[in-house]
Amino acid sequence: MIFVKSKFKLVVLLVFLLAGFMIAVQFQSIQKPKERDTRDTWELRADIQEQQKTQQQLYAKIQQAEQTIHQYENDSVTQTTATLKKSVQALKEEAGLTEKKGNGVVFKVKPLFHEEMDDTDVQVFPTLKPELLSRFINELNKYGATEISIANERVISITPIRNVNGTIYVNNHPLPPIPFEIKVLSENPEKLLSYMEYSSIRDYFAIENINLLGKTKNEIVLPKYDQEIHFKSIHLQEAEDVNGE
Amino acid sequence: MWLPFVFLLFGIVLGLLTDIRIPEEYTDYLSIAVLAAFDTLFGGIRAHLEGKFNDKVFISGFFFNVSLAAFLAFVGVQIGVDLYLAAVFAFGVRLFQNIALIRRHLIEKSYFKKKRKKTVKK
Repeated sequence: MIFVKSKFKLVVLLVFLLAGFMIAVQFQSIQKPKERDTRDTWELRADIQEQQKTQQQLYAKIQQAEQTIHQYENDSVTQTTATLKKSVQALKEEAGLTEKKGNGVVFKVKPLFHEEMDDTDVQVFPTLKPELLSRFINELNKYGATEISIANERVISITPIRNVNGTIYVNNHPLPPIPFEIKVLSENPEKLLSYMEYSSIRDYFAIENINLLGKTKNEIVLPKYDQEIHFKSIHLQEAEDVNGE
Repeated sequence: MWLPFVFLLFGIVLGLLTDIRIPEEYTDYLSIAVLAAFDTLFGGIRAHLEGKFNDKVFISGFFFNVSLAAFLAFVGVQIGVDLYLAAVFAFGVRLFQNIALIRRHLIEKSYFKKKRKKTVKK
């Protein structure tokens, strides 16, 4: 045995071996496996299409912006003001600061069951939960709602829905007790309505003893958002971040 | 003298080839244990260079330090104090000291060698 001849005992050498082994294991454990691209052709194609769609939208936006610039450059002062006013109006409309008319769906929020009057003679009305309302709005947006108003409160992108002492506040105004109406504008009201009728959100409303009756209607008028928008908590987002999403 | 390093290398190769990974929760313990192992190895090399090497001290030191370090890390996690930092600090300082002593030893050795050669030539 060579170990016997050596100055070191076998155990010492084994300790070195063990130490080397530990180092290697530690090294390997720290090393993270590389993230592999495991998308197949189908997924890649879908991703490409998605990106192309985004590209198209961006091109359209660029074109619009360029048109506006063109108008600014070529037109006289009065026309420039008109263009400016038009832009402002368009932006206001987008932000929900104007009344809006269009086709859509009107949801009537009603109690599902009227509770039997018992000896106390007190009619109990169901109450809405803010989470449920938020979820409902999410659902509406998912299925193509463009504008929403809840009991004459226009819902814009920064509208808060809160529970304050048991009452729901939308846009910092208390909602009236049930029944009230939720008006929704959509480019395809029938589709939205049929989606909502089969959505599980109705079950959640039913748990709260609330019935949701939707009806398509033409020429619905949504009120404008009548408060000021505070820009204190709104920041500019870098263009790169938007692209990165 | 070189046999331990051959074994160290052999251990590393063995570890890399077996492709063992320990769960992420335990890497802290292993890392502290590896640090303790380093400390013991360099301590052993220094002792060897100084001619004071005792294999019983070396082996017991290796296992004791490794388990103590892991245990300290474990206790630290349980009571919410980063006790493993104590081990990192202690072993780190000792590691540097040992390496410095080894370096000095080697320099002195080579210095004497050269001197001896010069005297032989003369």
